[in-house]
Amino acid sequence: MAKEKNYGNPELENKLRDRYFYNEDSKADFLKEVKRISRTIPEMCFQCGTCTGSCPSAPRSSYRIRLFMRRAVLGLEDEALTDPDLWLCTTCYSCTDRCPRDIAPTDVIMAMRNLAAKRDIIPRNFLQTVNLIYTTGHGVPNNDVNRAARVKLGLDADPPTTHSYPEYIDGIQKIIDHYDLKETADRVLEGVK
Amino acid sequence: MTGNEKPRIGVFICHCGTNIAGSLDVNDVMEYAKTLPGVIVADQYQYMCSTPGQSKIADAIDEHDLNGIVVAACSPRLHEPTFRTATKVGGLNPFRFEMANIREQNSWVHMHDREGATEKAKDAVRIAVAKASLLEDLIPKSVDVEHAALVVGGGIGGMQAALDLANSGIKTYLVEKDTSIGGRMSQLDKTFPTLDCSQCILTPKMVDVGRNENIELMTWSEVESVDGFIGNFDIKIRKKARGVMTPDEAEAKGIVGGGCNGCGDCANVCPVVKGNEFEMGMAPRKAIYINHPQVIPQIYTIDFNSCVKCGLCVEACGDKKAIDLEMEDQFVDIKVGTVVIATGYELFPVEVKSEWGYKRFDNVITGLEFERLICASGPTGGKLIRPSDGVIPQKVGFVLCAGSRDNTGEGKPYCSRFCCMYSLKHAHQIIEKIPGAKVYLFYMDIRSFGKMYEEFYYRIQSEGAKFIRGRVANILEDPLTKNLTVFTEDTLLQRPVNVECDMVVLAAAIQPPAQTEVVRRQFGVSLSQDGWLLEAHPKLNPCGTTTAGVFLAGVCQGPKDIPDTVAQAEGAASAAAIPIHMGKVELEPYFAQCIEELCAGCGMCVNLCPYSALALVEKDGRQVMQVTEAKCKGCGTCGGFCPGGAIKMQHFTSQQIVAQIDAFLLGGRGGAQ
Amino acid sequence: MSSNGKHEYAFFLGCIAPNRYPGCEASAIETSRKVGIELLPLKGASCCPAPGAFGSIDLNVWYAMAARNVILAEEMGKDIALICNGCYKSIYEVNHILKHNDELRDGVNEVLAEIDMEFKGSIDVWHLAELYYDEKICGVKKIADSVTRPLTGVKVAVHYGCHLMKPMKERHFGDSENPMWIEELVDAIGAESVQYRNKMQCCGAGGGVRGFDLSHALDITNEKMINLQEVGADALTEVCPFCQLQYDRGQVEIKEKFGVEYGLPVLHYNEMLGLAQGMSPQELALDLHAVDCTPFLEKIL
Repeated sequence: MAKEKNYGNPELENKLRDRYFYNEDSKADFLKEVKRISRTIPEMCFQCGTCTGSCPSAPRSSYRIRLFMRRAVLGLEDEALTDPDLWLCTTCYSCTDRCPRDIAPTDVIMAMRNLAAKRDIIPRNFLQTVNLIYTTGHGVPNNDVNRAARVKLGLDADPPTTHSYPEYIDGIQKIIDHYDLKETADRVLEGVK
Repeated sequence: MTGNEKPRIGVFICHCGTNIAGSLDVNDVMEYAKTLPGVIVADQYQYMCSTPGQSKIADAIDEHDLNGIVVAACSPRLHEPTFRTATKVGGLNPFRFEMANIREQNSWVHMHDREGATEKAKDAVRIAVAKASLLEDLIPKSVDVEHAALVVGGGIGGMQAALDLANSGIKTYLVEKDTSIGGRMSQLDKTFPTLDCSQCILTPKMVDVGRNENIELMTWSEVESVDGFIGNFDIKIRKKARGVMTPDEAEAKGIVGGGCNGCGDCANVCPVVKGNEFEMGMAPRKAIYINHPQVIPQIYTIDFNSCVKCGLCVEACGDKKAIDLEMEDQFVDIKVGTVVIATGYELFPVEVKSEWGYKRFDNVITGLEFERLICASGPTGGKLIRPSDGVIPQKVGFVLCAGSRDNTGEGKPYCSRFCCMYSLKHAHQIIEKIPGAKVYLFYMDIRSFGKMYEEFYYRIQSEGAKFIRGRVANILEDPLTKNLTVFTEDTLLQRPVNVECDMVVLAAAIQPPAQTEVVRRQFGVSLSQDGWLLEAHPKLNPCGTTTAGVFLAGVCQGPKDIPDTVAQAEGAASAAAIPIHMGKVELEPYFAQCIEELCAGCGMCVNLCPYSALALVEKDGRQVMQVTEAKCKGCGTCGGFCPGGAIKMQHFTSQQIVAQIDAFLLGGRGGAQ
Repeated sequence: MSSNGKHEYAFFLGCIAPNRYPGCEASAIETSRKVGIELLPLKGASCCPAPGAFGSIDLNVWYAMAARNVILAEEMGKDIALICNGCYKSIYEVNHILKHNDELRDGVNEVLAEIDMEFKGSIDVWHLAELYYDEKICGVKKIADSVTRPLTGVKVAVHYGCHLMKPMKERHFGDSENPMWIEELVDAIGAESVQYRNKMQCCGAGGGVRGFDLSHALDITNEKMINLQEVGADALTEVCPFCQLQYDRGQVEIKEKFGVEYGLPVLHYNEMLGLAQGMSPQELALDLHAVDCTPFLEKIL
């Protein structure tokens, strides 16, 4: 556990905060959960750097997939889930394609995002997509400009999806509600106003 | 037991420390053994294989007048010889001993079921006792060992093994599939860590091999077929048609003063040009060629796959009349006592790892191609130039672990062992030859494991090579300049890396050459899980195989550098020489026997024998089967088949096997019958 | 195959194609018909669901919603054909995973039982581009033969996208480092396919990044734009409407945020094929594109 420094000076306390990695910092269940959700073998990572070397986000940010793999292996749950860089992965799968240990680092990121979501750590745009799908069945719903264009093309104004058959939306809502996703979206969007 | 002998069996249960005792109740098994029919005494001990343990056997034989011994312990593959000897010391025929494996096949795999394991051990002991009660005296057969050896493969490993065997007085055949001996070492420029010129240290050995009276060198030759067994291998060698005669061969044909003298006039006039495999395809050769000026033997060879038989070479050769365009493959039969396999390695086809662009990008080459370019006797006279434009590179990147340590199923999961070291060497050579050149080594680890290797790493670092700790993700090529961009992460800096190189060298993984698969099957050698040849024991018997009389030397058994290859070759030669110098080798007496009174002479067993050990002979006016004991391996095919029950498999008789089955099925769980 | 010898598929539309670039939908139907592929409406389909958005929050919901879409086609008894890499990841991958993973399939069916649906694993999922390339269904030659207005005189670069071919071990498209098969399809319609630096790099939109940090996503797109400009491409073609959105709207956003303008028209392969088969820009609703396609159209019309 990081040792507390009670110097009565928050600035100093922060500057000099204990950076050690202690035994207790490792949360065994974190790696287990990441393995279960990602269905891959993150514990086999030997930190070769092929993943970060393949990553399109790495050269333009502080995001390092290799470090997230390290955090999974060492069980550094809080560090991993609260790092905003977790959301910079474009899921291009280049790292997964090239990993010599046959791990899927992209899926490890997705698993960590799932675990972060359980702590209500989800960027707004994701939840907005949830809401749109909940109400219309589409993440990018139709609009009137597009409807007019469709008709000009000889297509129906609305595609034969939930847009033309809204009775199917009920089923979609049942799926989303089964996992309390709408509830979560509302709660988080409300709180993060 | 023969005759009316009643079984008097001694049973010994081993604890093997906690290996057995920790998982089953040894005492219980011992008490159970005492209740079995024929068992006179049962005992237990911590380590039966120890001296006091073995003494227990001898003492018990004496004290209780035993005529059969059972030891329940580890696998017979470990201590059957130990306990057979102990039995012999006690005064019994060593084959009056039976072992029950209650470790590998019991305690080690049932560590969480003490009760079940104990009951299973009792079953194993009961079965062993049933067999021991029917064992007989057997006399091992001694066979003479042919005073000759065969070495397959003429690289440094094969050459060293051949020299050691030959110098100990053994006639040694050295068979090499290429046109000259020398192997990979001939292709190298310098060797780490001493930076000796490879050819300079190799050629003295090559000359020794060529001149050694006890070595019969057969290059451009391959093993065609193998028959026989240790001490008596009958091997057919295919001497591929060279198209060129040695002076001896010419003389045998009546051409006085003829035969090839290596002058090369033929190559000068040959119209056919091919890629030179020795130069990794980076230089041409003719259809009639030698690999390099220092080949042994100094004889040209015709590649008949590309020769157009124009005859210009014959003309150029003139009076030497060394060329015979109609030459055909020849077969030579040899008889040897032991064999050493030293078939070496080739590079893994690293183009399958398409992310590095090998074979797509001109200036991405492998380590072996680099060796030829940097070698003074190579295609560029030692000048390192870019394949795309012949310009000397100023920024060279080395990709380590290219195809090794790869668990994707595309590459090799193992480490190829010497690539870290040769990449360091290559870096040094560039720094030395191209002042101002920038050298980058992209690595995961630097494995500088050997003598003076770490010091070599220190030296290369001090010479200014830059080490970037990151495995190369991919490489892109600039279509105009043909320069390469290497992408990785400097994991130590935690920054992604985008480095331009004008040349990239891939330290590609190694693998056994395709021909090894053929050779190993001929000699009955297995493969390890990683694809290299399987040694008898990775720690205690790295030079032997599970096939008696066949030994391994060099990289064929697993990636290793030159010092380790030479050391293993010397070990293999020593092991291969022992049976030869002893003159005789004992064969285990498991051979089949024909019970002539029951034999109908039908001859159906003869064709079934996989070792051609059986034949029908005339005896007292009728046909009966006869076993050539030296060829018989006791496999049991004939014994199991004979419709008249006329074949006895010694040490595995039908009575013994049925007794074991009955003991198991009818003996019940514990208690007397 | 239906009785009239055409290959029939349930056409999974996704979101961006029907709702932002309907020309992709219209051209897909038309151009496929011309090469013997019939795309039938898939009633009641929804968002695939967006693998980046939904997968990030809860993979279980992603499995279930994708399975729901697959089941609609199972009920039709038809394989699915689609025109979007993102949809391909959701629909193809979940179909594949649920076919082979009993535990996950049982979990999904438990949820779907609530809406009287069951995943049976009875159909396959295809990207329309692979159907075009597959000689057993169509083939490059048939595509070439269907062309009435070859796109001669234009250099077209290809963006493969990410989710179609990667990860290699879970796809069947072969090598993902330097594929050339879509270039073959481009050459078949008369255009000159051109190579450019790092062509396999991601467009930057996926994984929710376009919504989470637009400038970060655009910087990735901008790197591709620089490489495309270097080779003088007249247009970029892709097989993913989401990539299309990122490149098309993205160029406008790049101009706003970074002050650079490229004006490189971006067309889905189906739009290109439509043009090559004689469809007019109006029939393809090219006016909906953010980047004006006129410079490109002038060269081919």
